[in-house]
Amino acid sequence: MNRFCCISINHRHAPVSLRERIHLEPASALPLLKGDAEALTLNTCNRTEIYGCHLRPSEMLALITSVCQIQDTNLEGLCEIFEARDAIAHLFAVCSGLDSLVLGEPQILGQAKEAFAAAVRAGTTATLLNKAMHRAFRTAKRVRNETEIGRYPVSVASEAVELAGHVFGDIQRSAVLVIGAGDMACIAARRLKDRGVRTLTIINRTHTAACALARDLGGKAGTFDNLETELMRSDIVITSTGAPTPLIGRPLMERIMKARRHSPLIIIDIALPRDVDPEVGRLYNCYLYDIDALKDIVERHACHRELQLDQASAILESEVDAFEAWLSALTAQETIKDLYALLERYIGEELRSEHIGEEDQGHLAQAVHRVLKRFIHRPVSFLKAHPSLANIENARRLFQLDEDYQDRHKGQPPRPCADRDSEKAS
Amino acid sequence: MIVLAWVTLIFYVLASGWFILCLLRPGRTLTVGARIVYLGCLAVHLAFVVALGLKDQSLPLSSPWQFMNMTILMASAMLLPFVLKHSTLVMGAFYLPAATIALNFSLHQESLYIQPLMGASRYLYPLHTLSVTIGEALFAVAAITSVIYLIHERIIKKGSIHGPGASLPPLSILDRILYACLGLGFVALTTGMILGGFWAVKADLLAGPLIPKITAAGITWLAFAVSLHQRFAIGWQGRRTAVITLVGFILMIILAIGTHLAFPNTHGLGLLQ
Repeated sequence: MNRFCCISINHRHAPVSLRERIHLEPASALPLLKGDAEALTLNTCNRTEIYGCHLRPSEMLALITSVCQIQDTNLEGLCEIFEARDAIAHLFAVCSGLDSLVLGEPQILGQAKEAFAAAVRAGTTATLLNKAMHRAFRTAKRVRNETEIGRYPVSVASEAVELAGHVFGDIQRSAVLVIGAGDMACIAARRLKDRGVRTLTIINRTHTAACALARDLGGKAGTFDNLETELMRSDIVITSTGAPTPLIGRPLMERIMKARRHSPLIIIDIALPRDVDPEVGRLYNCYLYDIDALKDIVERHACHRELQLDQASAILESEVDAFEAWLSALTAQETIKDLYALLERYIGEELRSEHIGEEDQGHLAQAVHRVLKRFIHRPVSFLKAHPSLANIENARRLFQLDEDYQDRHKGQPPRPCADRDSEKAS
Repeated sequence: MIVLAWVTLIFYVLASGWFILCLLRPGRTLTVGARIVYLGCLAVHLAFVVALGLKDQSLPLSSPWQFMNMTILMASAMLLPFVLKHSTLVMGAFYLPAATIALNFSLHQESLYIQPLMGASRYLYPLHTLSVTIGEALFAVAAITSVIYLIHERIIKKGSIHGPGASLPPLSILDRILYACLGLGFVALTTGMILGGFWAVKADLLAGPLIPKITAAGITWLAFAVSLHQRFAIGWQGRRTAVITLVGFILMIILAIGTHLAFPNTHGLGLLQ
């Protein structure tokens, strides 16, 4: 475990002014890679991290400083340094969304997968970091499946999507109107577009901004003059403008709802001050949610996620333990021991299934032992002569000595590490 | 026959509990089990009604109790496609408890005896009652859908969509089911009423004793007619249609019970006595 190290410049310690200056391309770690060294960089909106194996933290800090040209900043005080087991635990927590600003958010896993793919392409990772990343993805999957941490949305956009789903069922048949082209509106529109809404129209005071966002999201831009027509056509409306007074009042909406023959309309008003008169929410089949209502819901969900944290942490700990066990077995000596233990197990199983006398069984056991030991003598000798990480890893993969290889390739349930340890001891 | 009636009731009780569990804790195993129990429930109920008919070689629709029993069977059959579909499965959690209570009342000693049909009654009466039964079963499904709609709409307005109401069907689907049930139910009820008129003429019934029954049927018909009209003409969707449907259904039940209690022999073949 002592081989791992992580430098994290994240939302907890570094101000946004620093975070926006730090971005590490996967290939930027190449100058550090000598011998067995490995590195992986991860960039998200809230963090930039570099994971290293057989690297010193000071080397990695120096790399960040020189690549991002932040010699004027004392990075050491503004970043977190994790070493050995803590580095792996941090990686698993990050991939599971347990270290995110929004607890349990799922996007980080996708970003981590992309970062890993980029690192593999750049050739900066090898056996240890590859395994650590696979384990991290597995941990994230377990946390998501075995706890309710990601069950309830904690972003306004996700909640809007959920609400729309409860009203319209299939959101893919819905027409969405976004009024305003600010950040919040953009996030909500993007989320809705990702869910495959039928049409997306963006209206903004500055028509060029609406056109730019529409182009970016694959929607169409409209003008404020057509607001009434667009409201009539839409199923979901998201408003987020900086208008000082409400844009949509009750008389306007009464007219529109009558023209729509009272077909349901969801209005998500995330503007402050509000863009929609609260009285609109009283209209028949008009579902209005303002930022306060959504925040209440989102905060309730965030509390629910907090309650799941203990369970998620337990999963994380067990996965870190499993990784540690794998790592400690990653020596030629351990691999050979595991190989012989496997042989003994197979021979024992086969002999138990044969119904022969005790004396014959003894002879048969000796014969089988001799044959199999001769058979694995050559790979064992090779491993002793060339105990490189790659060879050890290949041997473990070839003989499926680790639980996840068995799990993946044979469809067998993984054996708990405790069992393996007791087998080794015996 | 009594044993089969009890088995049917037990199946309904079991299915009710299972579906309520599905509503509170949605999960794949529970929902698959719920579907199996529902199918079992329907099969046993069908077997009971068929056995009842075979016993006396006639349609078991000669008393209000049998009429109620048949309506429940029809409604259960109509709900089957929705129960089999994942998004609408929990409708069973609302329908089955109500159906169990109604079934408990309908399994009256009288319901096990079928009055033989003669003369004009032989063809027209079963057609009339069957048609009305289909109509009322559809209205029952519409009423249950209305209840779910109103509950789900309230949950959505409050924004607490992730609680026990998380598995309720979307409003748009509920509205479509409601509309379809109302439309088809109205056609069946109207056909049943016309056939009932023909039957009364053919059987030479006196107009006097029929007045309470005709009035009750007329009021029910009007309630559903208003609901459909508002939908067609004004475009009412959702809550208002749900409320009117629910009011119409409650009115239908009250009038049916009221006429039965106040004028015991103005229902079904009682008129022929």
